[in-house]
Amino acid sequence: MPLLTDVGGPARWPVKEAVARSASAIARSLKRRRYKTIAGPVGPTLEDMDRRQFIKISGLTGSSATLASCGNPEYHLIRFIPEDRIVPGTAVWRPSICPLCPAGCGLIARVMDSEVEVLRDGQLGLTRMGLAKKLEGNPDHPINRGKLCTRGQAAAEITYHPDRVGHPLKRAGARGEGKFEEIPWDQALGELVSKLDALEAANDQKKLAILLRPQRGARTELIKQFAAGFGAPAPQTFEFFNDDVLRRANALSFGIHQLPTFDLAESRYVVSFGADFLGTWNSPVAQNIGYGQMRQGKPGSRGKFVQVEYRMSQTGANADEWVAVKPGMEGVLALGIAQVIIKSGARKAADAGPAGMLIDGWPAGLAEYAPQEVSKRTGVSAARVERLAKEFVEQRPAVAMIAGAALAQTNGLFNALAVNALNALVGSVGMLGGVFFMQGGVLEEIAGGPRSASATTRSPNERPPLQQEVRDAQVLMLDGPNPVYAAPPAWKVRETLMQVPYIVSFGNFIDETSALADVILPDHSFLESWVHSMPESGAKTAVVSTAGPVMQPLHETRATGDVILDVGRRLKKPLELPWKTFEEMVKAGPSPAASASIEASPYRARASRGEARKFVEPQFDGDANEYAFHFLPYPSQALLDGSLAHLPLLQELPDPMSSAIWSSWVEINMQTANRLGIRQGDWVEITSRQGTIRVPAFPSPGIAPDVVAMPAGQGHENFTRYATGRGANPISILAPIAESETGALAWAATRVKINRVADADGSLVLFAGSLREYPPEKPHR
Amino acid sequence: MLATIGIAFGCVQQPRVPAYAQRAVDPYVARRWSSPVFTTAHATFGDSARDYLNIRPKAQQPIDFPHKIHTDDIGVYCDTCHTGVSKGVRAGIPSINVCMSCHADIGDAGDPRIQALRDHAKRGEDLAWQRVYGFLRESHVRFNHAPHIRAKVECSTCHGDLTQMTVAEPAVNHTMGFCIDCHKQKAASIDCLTCHY
Repeated sequence: MPLLTDVGGPARWPVKEAVARSASAIARSLKRRRYKTIAGPVGPTLEDMDRRQFIKISGLTGSSATLASCGNPEYHLIRFIPEDRIVPGTAVWRPSICPLCPAGCGLIARVMDSEVEVLRDGQLGLTRMGLAKKLEGNPDHPINRGKLCTRGQAAAEITYHPDRVGHPLKRAGARGEGKFEEIPWDQALGELVSKLDALEAANDQKKLAILLRPQRGARTELIKQFAAGFGAPAPQTFEFFNDDVLRRANALSFGIHQLPTFDLAESRYVVSFGADFLGTWNSPVAQNIGYGQMRQGKPGSRGKFVQVEYRMSQTGANADEWVAVKPGMEGVLALGIAQVIIKSGARKAADAGPAGMLIDGWPAGLAEYAPQEVSKRTGVSAARVERLAKEFVEQRPAVAMIAGAALAQTNGLFNALAVNALNALVGSVGMLGGVFFMQGGVLEEIAGGPRSASATTRSPNERPPLQQEVRDAQVLMLDGPNPVYAAPPAWKVRETLMQVPYIVSFGNFIDETSALADVILPDHSFLESWVHSMPESGAKTAVVSTAGPVMQPLHETRATGDVILDVGRRLKKPLELPWKTFEEMVKAGPSPAASASIEASPYRARASRGEARKFVEPQFDGDANEYAFHFLPYPSQALLDGSLAHLPLLQELPDPMSSAIWSSWVEINMQTANRLGIRQGDWVEITSRQGTIRVPAFPSPGIAPDVVAMPAGQGHENFTRYATGRGANPISILAPIAESETGALAWAATRVKINRVADADGSLVLFAGSLREYPPEKPHR
Repeated sequence: MLATIGIAFGCVQQPRVPAYAQRAVDPYVARRWSSPVFTTAHATFGDSARDYLNIRPKAQQPIDFPHKIHTDDIGVYCDTCHTGVSKGVRAGIPSINVCMSCHADIGDAGDPRIQALRDHAKRGEDLAWQRVYGFLRESHVRFNHAPHIRAKVECSTCHGDLTQMTVAEPAVNHTMGFCIDCHKQKAASIDCLTCHY
């Protein structure tokens, strides 16, 4: 049925003029106009609507509406007594911590009173309370110093999301069907406790598995202690874009199992091997601040920045030079640079210390990595290698970094060791303008933290990750990760989880993984609870941040920390955890174990004497003749690995390179696209040995001719109204190929073939329409 | 004909978004989000007509609060209950906690208003007071109470003599001329951006 909608604010126009028209005259004039049919509840505006037309309709509306007084009964909702003492209309700023990535940036939230609907004891009502309205960076926080990235800005939407789980849920249908019913907290906790008691009674405590997102802080510490107290194995962490290969390389090269921190503000020359350090990697806000100072902070001195990668990221777009190296050859290029430096005599091979000893042929001066050889392997000209080497050693301080696709190859660890050795060679480790390791940021091996399920050291013949850890579990506790979505299909995560008898999720939202849960015990949002974070990198000093709730809970949720403590107390054999509430734990400060690691000894002394590694050609899944393209899934600037796809602000955020919103796309080199007859927006089928996805094409000049790249994050099957069924998931066609030494998923080592299947149909929504500053297809005149 | 269908459809389809449909407390924002059919600005034709003709719905209060007794008879100052008036943008309507700080003990238990008050407090509910004054959103007026209090403008200048009223009623018409007159008298700024931004 065609419906009308008005086009904005009401016009203040003399009433007489409009009402005086007879209804039939208006009907006649309406006939001459075409109106657009409105499809959904949120309608587009009328076509061809002008002011006069609008007044006519308003006039008719007004006169008829006085006759038919249709309306709602008002004053339905009860009002709860407000709990806050707030000055109406006046804002206060309260501190918090951003939970979206492990960087742990400090926030301040603007809190103002508002009327809001809340659930209290199962009843919907209104109350007036202080609500967080806007998030900004905390100027006093040592990591982000008052700045905040776009993702952090959007974090406020988590609290007010219409699909947030506001009440404990129990599975109502078959597992995986996604049907839940609300149950009271006591019943939900009672069920979990009885399952755990049953494990205890059967002496099967080892059959409790816990899966987390990697976050350093009191929450992880508490869950770790809960597991230890109960007798369960240490919790596992899962994240798709994890940096386990780099941590392992740093442990080998420098004796520290930790992500690096870069003193970019003091650097004069930066070479980044695939690290999207201005967009998504490590501690992006801190790195952006340092980068800004390097480029513009010192009058008369503008540091140079070279990005080595085969698909131009947002970071690459900022670089002075973009070097499109062949996939998996980043380490070779780094060693080529090192070879030139050693040969020139500017630095001696021994200057690299233990980090150099991990590379085969290093003490002898890396004869195999002469520029000519390197050029053949990497596709970078010999002259360029020599020039980069000259600049790198002359422009002090210089620093190299590596991350992203460079580590997600079968030889990822070697690439990282090569870059570490290059840093050590020019003396940029622990020096001004170089690479640091944040005190107290040591993860896993040294601090005894949770193991990462996605990259434990394993031989390629072992069972796939996650399956092994979860297979025997009777009870599985999930705190945040979404491996059903973010793991290659060959890992069979869904099938494995289907076999686990009892799954509990603490998530705020139902996603592909928590949809399999038997019980969901929803957490407060970060703005409603005590938060604690000990970031691994991002500042030169140790950072521990703590903040209280910014606002009161909107729904009947409970802080997961408190729930864990509560469950511990309710067990038949209660756990003796020393805190009553999570607040108490956070206020007590870091545990002795964590603070001991703050006193980390100088890293050089503890560098391990590992064996020297030889370069091994990277392996790719799929025959190069049949599957002609390298496939690169990269973290989306807005959605990261897809864990933020439920926030509409981020869906709406134009991708910095393509300006695409609300969709998936595949980037393909422009010449390649021309050759294959693919134009912007055309539907393309991407096929790997694991499966096929269809996405619109985005021909781009910033990508190597033999590579296609796709942002991760879309293609959710079940993740709130904003993400479900939107776009395609590149992870779903990845091969389960592993980094050869660490066993981490080599997510950039899958080959694909592409096939144009349909014409553009408007599914690719670009904010900018097309790429600007690129020659148009037909030159003007 | 089209409009007739629209009216019929608009009425029938009214409360389909439960949480929002019931959100009707402040008459100036009432119903704005209640209709899946009509627009965000007007839930019903009635609403749009009232808005068009600039007719505000009369505030309906849960209890006939006697301003006269509290101010004139007992001598409570306005800002004892409307605490925000000297501190911030809005004077604020007090919550039931403020009422109960006296009426937990004081007050005639036989008075139905006192009874209603205590019943609400016992159930843990607040009173759904409605605002009597307020500018339409479209007027883009940003009124701030605190500077007016600092300038020693009497409450009654803008709100009428509440010491003689029971339920507060819109005694003064807040037109732009009314504001400008006073601003001129007191040599306050009459720059557009002082109030409209």
